[in-house]
Order: sequence, then C-alpha cells, then structure tokens
Amino acid sequence: MSPMSPNAQESASLKASARAGASSAEWRSLSDLENTPEFQELLAREFPDQDPQSVPEVDRRRFLQLMGASAALATLSSCRWEAEQILPFNQRPQGMTPGVAKHFATCVEFGGVAQPLLLRNYDGRPIKVEGNPEHPASLGASTMHAQALTLEWADPDRSKVIANKKGGTQDESNLEAFQEFVDEHFGALRDGGAGVAVLGAPTSSPTMLDLARRFRDVFPDNAGWFTYEPLNRDTEIEGAAIAFGKPLRTHYKLGEADVQLWLDADLLGSHPNSLRYSRDWASRRVAEVAIQDGEPMMTRVYAVESTPSVSGSVADHRLPLRSDRIHGLLLEIERALDGTVLASRPAWLDEEPTKKFIAAVVEDLRRAGPKVLIAVGPRQPAVVHAIAHRINQKKGAIGKTVVMTEEPVAAKQTEGLAALVRAMNAGTVKTLVLLGGNPVFDAPADLGFEAALAKVPVSVHVGLYRNETARQCTWHVNEAHPLESWGDSRSWDGTVTLQQPQILPLHKGLSQIEVLAKINGDEKTAGIDLVQRTLKKLPNAGGNFDAWFARCLHDGFVTGSAFTPANVTLQTFDAPAPTSAADPLANGSIEVVFKDGTIGDGRFANNGWLVETPDPMSKVTWDNAAYVSVETAEKLGLADNTLLEITIGGAKVEVPTFILPGQAKGSIAIAVGWGRTCAGRIGGDVAGEIAPIGRNVYPLRTQSTMGSASNASVRATGKKYELASTQDHFVMDRIGMEEREARIDVLIRKDTFDNWKDHPDHVKHAVHHPPLESLWHEVAYDGHKWGMSIDLSRCTGCNACVVGCTSENNIPVVGKEQVLRGREMHWIRVDRYFGGDPENPELAHQPLTCHHCENAPCEQVCPVAATSHNSEGLNDMVYNRCIGTRYCGNNCPYKVRRFNYFSNVEHFKEPGGDLYKLIMNPEVTVRTRGVMEKCTFCVQRISEVRKEAKRENRAIGASEIKTACQQACPTEAIVFGDLANGDAEVAKREALGRSYKVLDELNIKPRTHYLAKITNPNSALHIAKTAHGDDGHGNAQKKGH
Amino acid sequence: MTTLDPSHASEAFKEFRPPLLDGKNDYKTITDQICGVPEWSHSETPKAWYIAFTIAVSMLGMLGAMIAWLFWMGVGVWGNNNPAFWGWPIVNFVFWVGIGHAGTLISAILFLFRQKWRTSINRFAEAMTIFAVACAAIFPGIHVGRPWVAYWLFPIPNQMDMWPQFRSPLLWDVFAVSTYATVSLLFWYLGMIPDLATIRDRATTPVRRFLYGLFAMGWNGSNRQWHRFERAYLLLAALATPLVLSVHSVVSFDFAVAQLPGWHTTIFPPYFVAGAIFSGFAMVVSLAVPARQFFGMKNLITMRHLEAMNKVILATSMMVGYAYLTELFIAWYGGNPYERFAFLNRVMGNYSWAYWSMFSCNVIFPQLFWFKKIRRSIPLMMIICVLVNVGMWFERFVITVTSLSRDFVPSSWGYFTPTLIDALTFIGSFGLFFTLFLLFCRWLPMVAVAEVKADMPRDEAAVKGA
Repeated sequence: MSPMSPNAQESASLKASARAGASSAEWRSLSDLENTPEFQELLAREFPDQDPQSVPEVDRRRFLQLMGASAALATLSSCRWEAEQILPFNQRPQGMTPGVAKHFATCVEFGGVAQPLLLRNYDGRPIKVEGNPEHPASLGASTMHAQALTLEWADPDRSKVIANKKGGTQDESNLEAFQEFVDEHFGALRDGGAGVAVLGAPTSSPTMLDLARRFRDVFPDNAGWFTYEPLNRDTEIEGAAIAFGKPLRTHYKLGEADVQLWLDADLLGSHPNSLRYSRDWASRRVAEVAIQDGEPMMTRVYAVESTPSVSGSVADHRLPLRSDRIHGLLLEIERALDGTVLASRPAWLDEEPTKKFIAAVVEDLRRAGPKVLIAVGPRQPAVVHAIAHRINQKKGAIGKTVVMTEEPVAAKQTEGLAALVRAMNAGTVKTLVLLGGNPVFDAPADLGFEAALAKVPVSVHVGLYRNETARQCTWHVNEAHPLESWGDSRSWDGTVTLQQPQILPLHKGLSQIEVLAKINGDEKTAGIDLVQRTLKKLPNAGGNFDAWFARCLHDGFVTGSAFTPANVTLQTFDAPAPTSAADPLANGSIEVVFKDGTIGDGRFANNGWLVETPDPMSKVTWDNAAYVSVETAEKLGLADNTLLEITIGGAKVEVPTFILPGQAKGSIAIAVGWGRTCAGRIGGDVAGEIAPIGRNVYPLRTQSTMGSASNASVRATGKKYELASTQDHFVMDRIGMEEREARIDVLIRKDTFDNWKDHPDHVKHAVHHPPLESLWHEVAYDGHKWGMSIDLSRCTGCNACVVGCTSENNIPVVGKEQVLRGREMHWIRVDRYFGGDPENPELAHQPLTCHHCENAPCEQVCPVAATSHNSEGLNDMVYNRCIGTRYCGNNCPYKVRRFNYFSNVEHFKEPGGDLYKLIMNPEVTVRTRGVMEKCTFCVQRISEVRKEAKRENRAIGASEIKTACQQACPTEAIVFGDLANGDAEVAKREALGRSYKVLDELNIKPRTHYLAKITNPNSALHIAKTAHGDDGHGNAQKKGH
Repeated sequence: MTTLDPSHASEAFKEFRPPLLDGKNDYKTITDQICGVPEWSHSETPKAWYIAFTIAVSMLGMLGAMIAWLFWMGVGVWGNNNPAFWGWPIVNFVFWVGIGHAGTLISAILFLFRQKWRTSINRFAEAMTIFAVACAAIFPGIHVGRPWVAYWLFPIPNQMDMWPQFRSPLLWDVFAVSTYATVSLLFWYLGMIPDLATIRDRATTPVRRFLYGLFAMGWNGSNRQWHRFERAYLLLAALATPLVLSVHSVVSFDFAVAQLPGWHTTIFPPYFVAGAIFSGFAMVVSLAVPARQFFGMKNLITMRHLEAMNKVILATSMMVGYAYLTELFIAWYGGNPYERFAFLNRVMGNYSWAYWSMFSCNVIFPQLFWFKKIRRSIPLMMIICVLVNVGMWFERFVITVTSLSRDFVPSSWGYFTPTLIDALTFIGSFGLFFTLFLLFCRWLPMVAVAEVKADMPRDEAAVKGA
C-alpha cells in the first residue's frame, strides 16, 4: 500500500475541514476536501505514491547487487524454452476417447499399384500401419515397406520447405512465391506456350490420370507426360503386348494352378501384388487343407532364378540359373511340351541339374493339364513373358489360372524416359515438372539425365525429400506424405482404393495432385475436391454421393471396381534365339542382376527400420552387396567382406562381396538404390558429412540392361569391407558348419507331402530324450494360455513381421556398427538356413520370437525377478526392475532377448528428433539403456482386447487378439491366441500332427510351436537331393516307428 | 597320542628337516627386519617403490576413467554382444576371485594342517587375497546395465516388499563373495594385531604410535590376550576353510546352474576350486619373488617356501588338467549333442586358440615343476607362474565366451571381439591390485612377525639364560 497518511488521521481531520467549508465544490477524496498542507504537498509531488521516507535506505553495494541480480534475472527470463502447448479439445469429437486408438482405411501407391492400408491412429497421430482386412488385395496383411511408412512420415530429414534456385544455390522460398511463380510461368504457358513436360511416377490413380488428361488439354503443345520408376514392369506389359496385341496386366491365380513355374519372378516378395499372391499361394500349401478335398493335392512350385528370392526360397524345387539363360530354358520347355526341336540348342541345357529339372517340369506340366501357370518376372525381357503367355495359352491356362486385364500403368517407361531426355537435350523441353521420383540418381546411366536436366531452364520437383534430383531443379516443392494427403489409386486387381490423410501435413506440404492442379490452373486445388471430382465419374458412384463416398472412405476402397478379365487372342510372334555365354564363369561375360532390396529402389534409404531390416537371404543390413555363388567366388578369387570391382562397358563400381549359396553360377546379384548422397542422416548426406550407406550400382545399369547385364568383368580388389550380417556368414569354420547342418533338421522339421500323408506326426519324433522332470513346482494355468503358432510351410521370410514388430513395439534402430557387434534389437527375427548342396541349397525360414516358456530359464537366473510369469503364462519383462545383469540372455536357449547396450533414444535429442517421438506407440514403454527387452506377445494388444471384453461383459473371442507380426503376415503363418480355447486357431494348430516345439527337450515348455514345413517335391528330383544328408533324423525316426 | 603332537614331531625330525628360515636369525633380527620396512623414512624408501607405486596409481586412475566412461555411455563400450551377453568383465571377476583363494587357503587350511612353512608367506598371501577380492568385487557391480540400482541385488527391506529372486545363482554369488571378503579381511586383520602392536611399541613418532596403536586395539601381549587371540585365530581358520571351498563353488554355479551347453556341468565346483587355488598360488609366487627381493626378505621367504608353493602349483595343475579331460570325456560319453558340440567347438572351433592357450599354460608348462632345478629357479618359476595366471584367465574366457557364442540355435551364433575399453579396464584392475599391494608392503608388516617367531628353532641358551 502507498505510504500515505493513515485513514484514522484522515477521518479526524475531515470533520475539521468540513466545518471550515470546502475549498471547492467537487472533491476527489476526503483529503482533497480537507485540503491540508500535507495534501497540497502531496499534490505537488512528482510521484505522489512514493514517500521518500518510507523507502528503506539502501547502500551503494546493496543497490548494485540488487540491480545486478535484476538485470541477470531479466536476461534469464528472456532465454527460456519454447513453450510447448497441448491444446485439449474444448469439445470432444463424437466417438473419440483420448488414448483409445482409431483405425482409418487408406492406401499408399508403390510402383503405380495401391497398397491398401489400415492406419492405427492415436489421438490424431498415425502410429501403426496395418493392412486393410476388407480389401481383396491385402486381406489384412501389409508389406515391410508399407509398415515403415510411419517412420518415413516422421522422418526429420523430409523436405520441409519450398526451395527456389536463383543463381547457383537453392534458397528457402514459400508457398506464396511458388503460387506466384505458377500463375506467372504456367499461366503464360497455358496460352499456347510449348515445351512443358511432366515426369511422374507410374500411377494408376484415377485422379492423377484425370489430371494428366487435363494437363494435355490445358497445355496442348506440351512436350509430353512421362512416367518412370527404376524398378518398373515394362517388360511384363510389353510381353503381354507381344503375345496379345495390347498392353495388359497379368494376374496369376496361385491358389488354383497345381503346377507352377516361376521364372525370375518374385511373386511373393517384390511383386506389387505380393500380399494377395502370398495368401493365395499359402492357401494351397497347408497339408491338412490339401487332403480335405477329395483328391489330395498340394501345389507344386518350380522356381528358376538367378538370385535367391523370397519366392524361390519356398518353391518345391529351385534351380539357380543365370537370368540370361531363362529364355533358353523356357524355349526348351516349350519345345519339349510341343514335341518339336529347338533350332539352335545351347549345350548347357544338357548339363545337370538343369536337364533333369527341365525334364521334371515338362513331365509335371504335361500331367497337370490346364491347371498350370508359368509366371515370369520383370527382370526378364519382354519376349520371355510373351513365350510364357504362349505356353500358358497352349495349356489352356489363360483365363483360368492366368488372367489378363487392362493395365492402368503406362507401358514403356524406360523408352519414354529416353525420349524425354532426348527432348531435354534438344532443348524442346523448356519446363519440366517432376512429380516425385529421383531420376538424377536412378535413371539408366547411359541417358545422362543429370546433364539433360541442366539444359532445362525451369524444372519443378515435388518430392518428400530434397533428394539428388530436387537439388538440381529450379524449384522444389515439399510434398505432403501419403499419410497426410488425399488421393486414390488402384490395387493390382483394379479396385479403386482411397487414400485419406491421417493428420494435417506436418510441414505444410502439397500432394502431387495438388501441385498438378495448380499447374493446370484447375478450378479445384484441394486434394479432397480433386479426388471427389474423379470418383463422381466412376460408374460405381451411387446417387447419394456423399453417403457413398463416406462408405468408400470407411471401407478404404470402392466395392466392385476391380478390373474384369479381358478377352485375349494369342498373336503369332517370333521369339529370337536365346543368347547366353557358353561359359558362365568366363570373366567378361559375368552376369550382373539388378535386384531390389529392403530400401526399394532407393526411396527408403533414409528409413532406419528398413535399412536395418536384414535382407531376407543374406541377412545383411545397412549395405547392399554383390551376391556370388560359392563356385563363382572360388573361380574368380572373391572372398566375403572384400570389395569387388565390376566393370560393364565404361562404368566401374566397387561393391562388397557376399558369398550366397543358391546364387546362380556366373551371376552376381546386387540390390539397387543404395549409395545415396542426398538421402539424410541415415541414408547418407554428403553435404551434411554423412557417408552414404551401401554402394550405388545405378551407374552400371543402362536402358538395355534394366534387368541384368551379361557382359561384366569383375576383379577382386582385396580391399576389406565389413558387412553387418545378422546371421553368420556362410564362411565359417568347418565344425561350426557341420553342426549347423546337423541341427537344421531338428530346428526346422520338414517332410514331404507324400510321406506326411502316411505319417502325419512324423516330425514329433525328431528328437529323443529321457522323460522330463522339473526341478521346480510347476504352475498350472487355469485361465488364458497365450501361445503362438508359426507354420513353416507358409513362411516366406518376407520380413513384414520384422518391420511390423519394430513399428508396434518402438524397437530402436542401432546402426551398422552395433549390428556388427551383434546388438540388433529386433524382437522377432527370421532365421534363414541353407541345407545340402551350396550351389543349390534347400532354403528355409524360421521366425523366432520369445517363446514364453512356461518353465522359463531366463526367469530362474534373474537375481532381481525382473522377468517373471503372469497368471496367463506370459513371460513378462519388468523394465524398471531390470538392473541389466544379462544373465537371462545367456540362459535363453533361443537367444531372443535383446539388451540396450547404449541409450537407444539419443536420436530424440538430435535436431528434429522430436518428430521421431510422434510415431512411438504410446502403449509400449520406450526402454532406457541398460535394460533387457524381448517380445511380449504384444501384451498391449492383449490388454486392449481384454479391457474391451470386460467393458462389454463378454469373453475374449477365440481369434480376437492379433499380434503385430501376425497382423502383418501375408500368409497367415503366424497365429496367436489362447491355447486353452479349443476354438482358437492356435489351439487347433497345436493339436495337428505336424506341430512341434523347438528345444522342447530342455523341459522349458515353450508356448510357441511350429508347424513342420511340408513340401511337395517331385520324386524324380527329390531322390537326387536327399543324397546329401537330408535325413539324419529320418533314419532315427524310422526306428522309432 | 603324543606322536601326533606336531611339536613333538618337529622335535623328532628336527635334525632331518632344515630350518624354515635361512641364515642366522633371532627374535630381534626378525622384528627389526620386518618392522623396519614400515619404519622406513622417506629417504630410506627405495626409488623402485616410488616408481612402482606411480605406475600402479596411474593404472588405477585409468581404471577410474574407464569406469567413468562406462557409466556415462553404457555397457556397450565393451565388446559384449547378443549371444555373448557376458564377456571380459565376468571373466575378470572370476579370475580375480580365483586369485583370492590362495591367501585364505594358506592361512586357514595350511594352519589347520599345521604346515608351519606357511608363516613366512601367509600375511601377504592374505593381503593378496583381500586385494584380489576387492578387484573382483568391482566387476559384477559395474557389469550391470544400470549400476545405480545394483543395490537391488541385496535383500534390503523396501516399501515394495520386493525381495531378490533367491533361485538366481547371481544372488548366491553376492552372499558368497561378500561373506568371503568379510571373513578374509577379519582373519587378516586379526592375525596382524600383535604385529601392529609391535610397530606401535617401536614407534618413534607420535603419529605412527597413534595410528598403529589405534589398529593394534590395545594389544599388550598378555598371556590372557595370547590365549584369546589363538582361540579366535583357530576359530576363524575353521570358519574360513569351508569358505575357501564354497566361494568358488558358488561362483561356478553362475555357470553350472545355467542350462547353456558348456556351462551346465556338475564338475564345475571342484574344478573351479582347484583352478582357483592353482591361480592363487601362482600369483603368490609371482608376487613373493619380487617382494622378497626388494624388501630384503630372502631369509624369511626362502627357496624352500617357493619350492613348496611350486609343488602345490604342480599338484593343482594336474587337478585342473584332469578336470579338462573329464569334461571332454563326459561331453562325449554323456551323449548330449549340444554339450558334445560345445566342447568340440572349444577344442577345434573359432576359439581353439584360446582353448589351447589355456591348456598349454595350465597343464603343459607347469609340468616343468617336476624338475627340482626348475622348481628352484627364480626366473623359470616366475615365467611359469605368470603363464599359469594367463592360462587361468583364458580358462574363464573359454568357459564364458566360447559357450555363449555358440549355443543351441545356430542362427544366433556370434563371435565376441573385445574393445579397447575392455582391455584397459582389465589392466586398470591390476592398477588397483598393485596400488593396494604396494601400500601394504610399505606400511604393514609384510610377514607375520609373531607367527614366524613361534616357529623358529628356540635359542635354548637364551631361554635358559633368561
């Protein structure tokens, strides 16, 4: 309070002044009325409130102290943390409960084909990608690339701003400036200006195709609309065009053909329709289902390929053969089926095992009648596809097991790109719009795209990243992520699939269709308007569009919009004679096969989840490698972990060698897409002094060698280069290899279909052990008994489960150095084993998670009881009790426990690292350093369902809970559920004759069981194979019976 | 009965048995000699001690730095990986615990067996034990992922009512090692009290008198005190004896109780104890040889002592060798395919170099001690004893790492490669050991004065004269 005279004194003098008569008519206060000299003085004072007497005396030192402190505090208060505000909904949207996940159907387009998705969304953040269970192209499964989308969305290295190049450098710009540029530049061009071209990614999006049509209308003198992706299916479409006279899409009915021949075709792995193909393939690989039909029949798959693929690895018979010999092999098969003679027949066809293989295939194809299919992969030239169609047609398979439909994706992409580059060089392209893509990095090397791009005066790149191409363009627009934008596309079967945003664009990006609409000067520029405008034109669109659209959005697709089979007639065509080097191992005619790896064509190079996902065959992470066969390596003097120099024409690349059993003789397979220089903090950013990961092999790839090149020379440089493989390299000491070989039969139990029919529980007798007695009091589980079943007949090793688990359970990426030390953190790993002949091994995959042993060895040794059982038999891991002795890891016979050797959340603290937090699953603890972790059987998903069931006062359904790995699995190889519930799929599977438990003889009572791998080999080929010791246990088993 | 009395026996064999000490010693020279060392003035202290101490302290500093780095970064600074969750730290732990066996064995078991030659070496063998256990105790503590909660290993009552998990051998370890450390320390200290009192009585400075007096706990050498002292010493010896056997048995349970092939064997407890005594004696010899040289104790720690220890080394070497062969035999005979492979892998696999280093150092080289000349050759015994310690370190490495790196499922097999931090931490632990040891040699009676005197041939004339 002010130090003015106290009230009592005031009121006392009031009366006096009132008596004396007021000095003025109005008075402001009683003091005024009184008008004492004190009051007069007060009025005269500059600061009436301040009584100088009342201010305590301050000496100079104290004054300076206080002043100094005040100044310091004032300064401090200005440098504070940026306030982060979380705004609550002031009105909660209907149906929304904070913390409860919602699911939205959407899709993403890879290679012009929609991948139907279901996004798990927590409080407005997309957390987990799942497949859309209602969509025929997914049936609930999703690929590893789709699973990794959330990380791509939250990648801090994504392009965040519009950039404009003025002079030499690209500077930050903004949307207004870009809009101004578009209006000015394209506005002028719309009035008859020439020379504007578009290079987009191949697409089947109705909206994009509609905008392309509009583009041609708006820019009548345009320089063309091109699409290009390095891993395109040009030859496939072209092959159909040769065979049937028009570009068509080929659909294989893998569940219907009894005998199938897959030629360099990774139908279950890299094919755009791999999810549905995998499901169809698996439907005929379940032995129990196969005998249910009257005539017991399982499909028989023959695969011929140069490099082991996911698909080849699960074929009944696999022949490693150089890609350039498949043409000859197919002609030979056709000839044998026709009973004619091949004009110029290469000598290698008579070599073993090729000759025997061809004979077996021909015999089987002949016997199976029309229920056959021959599938060819995109690496093969068009003519091989055409020949396959011709054989399929002759067999009567076209229209039955091989169905042709229209092809929405543009054909001849590579040729188109070449034409574009010619036009760019000729100066006819004045303005180039690049919708996504990275042709500077991935275009065929002989085109010289980068040089041509420099000749284009105005180039606009729309992309998620400021990649190699974006940096060469005059404009770069940061693209909104597929999870942030509206769109549509068609799945492989043609179903129109909708893409809806899960969140507003993080960095205010624009989607490709929105940019294109701006360029076209469209009346609509918002994504949703563009999509709705297209969908309205669909014949399926109902009368009430809004209701229909809402329905489609809910489902994620337009029901009944799939393609209808096309009526086709076979054209006559001449197949050129096959050419392949006589000696496959002659240096100078070595074959180099370009394959796709875990990072696709390079677009996922900055996605840590995918970079650290082991290659399905080599198990190499963080690198691509030149896969060579054992014999090839010996002949050419190559060794593991050394650099190999490959020369094709004038181009030279050094790639680390990996000796991969099952690679074809004389063939080297290398994944493309690695060695990015402008990818980001993971994939390499030369400007930011982050070294590229892997080696770029695009310089070796030309227009004519998009699939494989046959004229490579190789030279062992002897330079060391360490590859981070999560599983042992093939090169191991002798006793280790022998032991591994001996154990495979016990770990991965196999049987042939014929043998299994007679002895359905054969595999249970692979291990003999004395009666098992426990040291401990054994717990009886009366309630739920959670367990898992993994069917090895169906597992293809596709890695979807690995990335799905990574996303669900907040599994950290540890980096190459740590993987080299064996410290990868994956809770589920897919073991890959080779058996038999190293040149043509039997391949097997075995996913391993924590087995949740009832008598868990990890629990017995933990000194602090940080890992212990719950009442339902889950082996729980209590992170905040764990002190990190790692004893549990030692005592785990499956070695599925993972230890946080370092803090694995340091990347949160990096610039932009906050974004990574966005995709952390809020239901799963983020682990600190020094604690052990492992698969929990997705305990958070169990809880979620349990809570729901409790609220609804009902029992948990038999197959209601799905773990993340199960959810992702395209073949339903993984099933989780309650072993105590007889209706649960997992319990039914456990009761099957071919179920067995790995290391059951340790009396640990694992809750996970495997179903033996039942194959359907051709007896003519199989006998030859068992010669190299398939049956260490087979003999013991016979004694057992 | 009288023939069993050791004193009578010694009388009887006096002329056949050479005296325990060399040269002409009497009570005074012994006291002067042993107590003289702690009474050295600054200038009397040999330069070599300062140099050695500087080096040891520097290594200790390095240990501190390594531990600080470890705590800052996490366990990942070591080479441990996913199959080999345990690596060098556990190897070092078992190595140091093993070394810590000789002291108590010499003090307790040899005392109970009336092996009088022990008196010259027991004091510093016990000291070595305690320092080795101190080194060992570091490792389990820093080895855990979250050392700041390592105290949860102890059964401390808490608000969560959360006890340790008593089925875990790691917990048994905590009890075994802490008990052993406590009893060893008490035993060592108790034996030292009369000697501390001697130094107190001879003290020329008040500080020395106060400090030694403090630790001498009012010892006045009365008959009653001697009586009590000897009772207590005997009791502690009896208490310590089973501990010698138990501590390494329990340490071996860390391995034997796990179900890992190569760990899960019943031979481990005796095998570990034999190995521990083996390495402990080798360490005593490696320390005694330079110590008797530098501190002028050659007359007290005689060639006869060294030879006796070398004989123990030879005997335990053969026990260890026998255990190695038994393991291999059982691996084959037992018919467990996983165990068979674990041993085949040790002998012939990726780590065969480690196995054969172990085998040659522990079984082959010590056989040279069959030759008396080698047993009595200072340089050769030094070389062999150092090799034994190298070999015993490798034994623990072979057991821990080779078994872990290749267990049941071949896909998860790996190969352990240590880091520089691993190596520097191990070297640093020697820094701790030598720092403590050098301080002990310099400031405490290195040889048990009272006990040595008790076993000296009596100077009959002097006794009579008095």
